[in-house]
Amino acid sequence: MSEFAGLGADLGMSTGMIPITAPPETPKLPPREWVKANLFSSPFNSVLTVVASIIILAITRGLMSFIFNPQRQWDATATNLRLLMTQAYPEEQYLRIWIATAVVFTLTGLSLAVWRAGSAVPLSDVGRRLLTFGGTIALLVLLAPFSVRATIIWLVVAVAVAGGGEALRRLVDDERTMSTLGILLIGLSGLVGSLWVIPYGNHTFQLHRTPRVLAEPGTVALTTKLPWTVMLLVAVAAYFLGIFIRERLPTNAPRITLLLLWLLMPPTLLYLVLRDPSFDMGHVLGTDIPIFLVYAVLGGALLNWLARPSTGEIGRIVAALVLVAAFAAFLTPMRMIVRLDMLVLAAFALAAPTFSGGPRARKNYVIGWLGFLGIMSWLVTAINTPSTVKVPGQFFIGGLSLTLIVAVFTIVISFPLGLALALARTSNMPIFRLLATWFIEFVRGVPMITILIFFSIMVPLFLPPGMHLGEVAAVIIGYSLFSAAYLAENVRGGLQSVTRGQHEAAEAVGMTTSQKTVFIVLPQALRISIPPLVGHCIGVFKETSLLAIIGLFDVLFIARSVMPNQTEFMGSTKENVLFVSLIYWIFCYQMSKASQRLERRTGLGER
Amino acid sequence: MTDAAAAEPADDQGQTRDLSNARDMIVCEEVSKWYGDFRALDKISTTIKEQEVVVVLGPSGSGKSTWIRCINRLEIHQEGRIVVDDVELTNDLRNIEQVRSEVGMVFQQFNLFPHLKVIDNVSLAPIWVRKKPRAEAEEQAMAQLERVGIPEQAHKYPGQLSGGQQQRVAIARALAMEPKIMLFDEVTSALDPEMVKEVLDIMKTLALSGMTMMVVTHEMGFAKEVADRIIFMEEGQIVEQGTPTHFFENPTEDRTKLFLSQIL
Repeated sequence: MSEFAGLGADLGMSTGMIPITAPPETPKLPPREWVKANLFSSPFNSVLTVVASIIILAITRGLMSFIFNPQRQWDATATNLRLLMTQAYPEEQYLRIWIATAVVFTLTGLSLAVWRAGSAVPLSDVGRRLLTFGGTIALLVLLAPFSVRATIIWLVVAVAVAGGGEALRRLVDDERTMSTLGILLIGLSGLVGSLWVIPYGNHTFQLHRTPRVLAEPGTVALTTKLPWTVMLLVAVAAYFLGIFIRERLPTNAPRITLLLLWLLMPPTLLYLVLRDPSFDMGHVLGTDIPIFLVYAVLGGALLNWLARPSTGEIGRIVAALVLVAAFAAFLTPMRMIVRLDMLVLAAFALAAPTFSGGPRARKNYVIGWLGFLGIMSWLVTAINTPSTVKVPGQFFIGGLSLTLIVAVFTIVISFPLGLALALARTSNMPIFRLLATWFIEFVRGVPMITILIFFSIMVPLFLPPGMHLGEVAAVIIGYSLFSAAYLAENVRGGLQSVTRGQHEAAEAVGMTTSQKTVFIVLPQALRISIPPLVGHCIGVFKETSLLAIIGLFDVLFIARSVMPNQTEFMGSTKENVLFVSLIYWIFCYQMSKASQRLERRTGLGER
Repeated sequence: MTDAAAAEPADDQGQTRDLSNARDMIVCEEVSKWYGDFRALDKISTTIKEQEVVVVLGPSGSGKSTWIRCINRLEIHQEGRIVVDDVELTNDLRNIEQVRSEVGMVFQQFNLFPHLKVIDNVSLAPIWVRKKPRAEAEEQAMAQLERVGIPEQAHKYPGQLSGGQQQRVAIARALAMEPKIMLFDEVTSALDPEMVKEVLDIMKTLALSGMTMMVVTHEMGFAKEVADRIIFMEEGQIVEQGTPTHFFENPTEDRTKLFLSQIL
């Protein structure tokens, strides 16, 4: 072997870095020439440019006249913002909502710092953007049906913005840069600061008061502006805490911890903070925790043994027996959690040989099992614990909060389910392939509404006596199954695009089928599937609006039928729907941007 | 040595090593394979000894690649027996996995894992198949990368390397499993001409180190210089085999002569 040492040195010279010479700089065209080259390059293109501009201006003018028409009742939206966000969540419990928001903001701030989000932008670029922004404001103001006075005020603002941008562009030298996070912070501070300064008016609605709707002049209520200020400060503080952690700890530990916290956050906030569960401590201590401990200890020991490389064929047989036991558990009367735990244990046992290895690999595997078991036990216990936050009638929360809860849980749950279905459908095992194909084809052939109705009305009838499943939990399960079928098809497309050569290379180094799938095929398939998967997530988020059909108060339902029913705001549907569509658009656009960033990061389209 | 090399006296030329006492590493007995009605392999029988370097030549479509891919069960033969290091290739998954972990293979199209860094490409299989601790596996991966002369590329992605460098990573990846046999399937065919040499040089050094090798190639210079034995295939059959001297200077079969006249 030693003769190779010299060889490496011989070949070293041919492997040195290729010297990089900077490409010739393409000169930036001055504005007039740019316009000529891109918009008026031929007579036909000139006509197209003029016609398209007229159409765009006409549409914008129509939109502006609609929004700023004096007949519009934007008061309806302003008065009922709280209703849109959380439906009838009790006023005296509202601190819970703010705590939940603060947790989300803290995690966001920490993550931004730990993952080094944001990039440096030259100040001259910022100036150019401001210039464009000011111009756009001026154009919109001229198109809007404002009074002369309002037009003048807004034009002054527009000129100030554009002038500031131009000054920045000219006076600052090109080397100076600014972080995108800094720009974001300035923008958000401006928004929150405006709550304290600008007289948006204080709109209130109280049932037992005349008049029920009151619009007082001045800035918004303290109960709105104070919490939002605190939220902004929390996020900023969390960001600096994140930098502190980043500089003092190795890279991976904080990242893994944060990922786990993000995963734990939704079930914890929902079932501990927002709902305020009234635990039956006798039941929790006497039944739930013992069951968890038995599975944690015995299951952990079993998995530790199965993940030993020396266990071999006997381990696989034992794992198969656990699966049989899990199926048997579903045929005999016993607690649901016992059955579910057994089923998950069987899945972990079957996958153990794939991840087998030394003590460290085994420890990680057992920790994974404990984590999964913990989350699942918590969810089952929490779903079956009644809430102390009471609202008349429906689920304890509604509006945008409900929309977000259902969307987040559905996406998180349907992701592993969809992966499993896609793998089963492409596997060599005929039984798995058949089951997955039937499931996918069945679910895809049924409208989503039927599934929602089935899970909200029929499933509770089939549950064993004593087992209680909240309506929203039932809907989330149904929606997750539905979403998983579509997700599976998206992933399957990615799986098929992994070349034969990759399979052969993995097989040639002796990987088992499951190792090949986990380490080689899935990462590549998922990377290719990012655009359709994000498209699917956007779809899931938007289709939560169908929850209204089974009587849940999602944000669109409130905007469409609850608010117009207030006699003061008769016929304000158009305004509310426009406002809600703006909310939907903001979320979906952010998902879309995140998808683009993810694609860039994973280098999609480069290799 | 059995049928093949015994036909050629070992003292025919100086460079031929005497491997008659060596262990049988690959034994093929009447191996046949069909694609539909097309017979890709037609009763291939030969034995490859430990440390022997066998170069397989032949026109395209002659079944060279199919044969070499049968040796580690990327293709399934339908008749005959293939025994690799005393393990017979059958449908039993355990046998297949055992053979594959002892037979390294390098492909024409490199087939590196594009989502993993070079070092992870090399250390992945030792970690998960050989169950080595990560630190040890990475240390050995670096040693293999030094062996093929590109340790400085360890933390790049395959897409950032030239073709020749990628193929050398592929060789390091196969070597990291510490195989007893290496299979090379037209490894220089997809490379630009100036990169062929760097890959061939590594294969030569590997051959000198005593690795059992089976090489499908069109590089006649390499075959002449390195091979212990050359096997010429056509239409799924072994037409002629022998030492490089015999094969290039003194072939007996007409089809071999025709092939040589076309390429030389």
